[in-house]
Amino acid sequence: MVPGLAALQCFGLGFAIVSAGWTRAASPAERMLKLFLSAGYGLGAFSILFLVLRALGLASLLSVDVFAFVLLVVAWLLTRRLVPAATVLPAADHNFPGWLRGSLTAGFAAALCAALYSAVRRTMAYPNGEGWDAFAIWNLHARFLFRGGAGWRQGFSAFIPWSHPDYPLLLPAAIAHFWSYAGQESYAVPATIGLVFTISTVGVLFSALLILRGRKVAMLGGLALMATPSFIEQGTSQYADVPLSFFILATVVMLCLCDASVVVSPPAGWIALAGLAAGFAAWTKNEGLLFLCSLLLARFWMLAGGKRIAQGGETLARARSFRLLVVSALPILLIILWFKRFIAPPGDLFVYSAATFHQFSDLARYAAIGKWFGKQFFRFGHWLWVPGSLLVVGIFLALRNWGAQNRGDQGNARPEIGFRACAAALTITLCGYFVIYVITPYDVYWHLRFSLNRLFLQLWPGAIFLCCLRIGVRGQKVRPTEMFQNEA
Amino acid sequence: MPQKTGNFPACLAIAVLIFVCGCLLSSARLVLEAPRRHIPDDIARRSDLRFAGLKAALPTEGVVGYIGSSADSIGYYYLAQYALAPLVLDHSLNHPLIVGNFPSSAPQLPASLEVLRDFGNGVLLLAAKDEP
Repeated sequence: MVPGLAALQCFGLGFAIVSAGWTRAASPAERMLKLFLSAGYGLGAFSILFLVLRALGLASLLSVDVFAFVLLVVAWLLTRRLVPAATVLPAADHNFPGWLRGSLTAGFAAALCAALYSAVRRTMAYPNGEGWDAFAIWNLHARFLFRGGAGWRQGFSAFIPWSHPDYPLLLPAAIAHFWSYAGQESYAVPATIGLVFTISTVGVLFSALLILRGRKVAMLGGLALMATPSFIEQGTSQYADVPLSFFILATVVMLCLCDASVVVSPPAGWIALAGLAAGFAAWTKNEGLLFLCSLLLARFWMLAGGKRIAQGGETLARARSFRLLVVSALPILLIILWFKRFIAPPGDLFVYSAATFHQFSDLARYAAIGKWFGKQFFRFGHWLWVPGSLLVVGIFLALRNWGAQNRGDQGNARPEIGFRACAAALTITLCGYFVIYVITPYDVYWHLRFSLNRLFLQLWPGAIFLCCLRIGVRGQKVRPTEMFQNEA
Repeated sequence: MPQKTGNFPACLAIAVLIFVCGCLLSSARLVLEAPRRHIPDDIARRSDLRFAGLKAALPTEGVVGYIGSSADSIGYYYLAQYALAPLVLDHSLNHPLIVGNFPSSAPQLPASLEVLRDFGNGVLLLAAKDEP
């Protein structure tokens, strides 16, 4: 009973956050997207609230939760009244022949059943997660937060460097929040959170593509993700990589929705939700912090570069949306800075500064890392025979020039700042991963072997989304009067 | 000129079919490699039970030392820390109380340590001997 109510409260918080930024969902697909986003935002909020409770030494968790919920409902009422509702034109679907449509639908359904079956079986077989990191890092930190009471800080000491005490606490604090409601630890909580993030990531990808590119492309994108075995394996292993991929995808989706918005200026609520998701990504793993910095850099670059070519009003709108992105991520960023500065010891990757300079000048190291990156591009998903990365690139190349004439969307009439910023952010993040391997104090081959596939996986849902978003946009455009005629 | 399926070019239809079949291969791997055991692998839960007696005898917070067999996996240290949290295990002997963890071999202790209590299953509570 109590865990169910806590789950409801968590989801309610997430839904209130998403609704405050997205006041009216016009279509069933938009409502579906809001529901899947709410699960992740709720867990992020649960995590932040628990840490605030611990940091301030507050006693009543319920009071903090209720206070936050009331605050969010007030914010929702205000934004509903003051901020114009944002929406996108529903994308008309691609015209696939009936037999192909049937094959795609059947393939999607089969992949969905396989993914669900595998995820549930894995969760039942490995209730403590699969692999050491689940209990040696994430669930251990959750225990320190839950059992430690006022002395929780001691668990993040330099005595146990192998537990990476500098890692951010989204996952551990969310788990501890649920345990506190239940009054005891339960193996079901981290396992369920892992499942929720896995399912929600697929749900966000599918529903966002459904809004922006129609059902066929949504099924192609969803199929690519669900048929990535390592995505399902990592999602149920209670590691933080799939939760991070969720927040990266949510950021990308919200910014790309802004591109498709029917209002001229970028919707403030969606930008704020993107900033919040990027903040949650940074609060999930250190790689998320890299993604947040990459995103801000990319947006700033677009802003500075855009000044030369954009009209005055558009430049102002871009500057406003950049400020909003920063401001919405700032509260979480401040919590991360506080945690890193006052609680956690320094990270293990930036310790040996003398060796770092030597590694920077070692060209053989660059070549070795580049080779691993090339190999992992085809291997990271643990696919059978045909790499999913190759399939996604192939379908993107095959379909990119086809279909716009059948849809009538006005994708290339807009500057697509969001799309370009997200593509640049993912690329910069990938380059950042490369640099981390260059400076790592560990044996670089050991480090690559045990982490690179997970780093690729963090960016994979966002990359699928961006690829699918480009399907058909280079085709011939139609006048508005021709819209949807081909669908009839 | 490629053949068309209605308005849809045949080569694109083939591309979509290859994509679907390629994805389904990996979905098949997911199903084939899904664990079929009904008894869950709860190594951490068993470790919690193994250290339950020791946990009751230790202070609820602070830092204690740790010693284990060099032949054992470092994973046993992780499991001990996981079971005894929020107590912090420092992998050193420079503490008044030391946790001994010897799950797969007979304890081989330095002469400077004495056993305060043996909890069975290779779990020991140790202390530094007083210097004469």
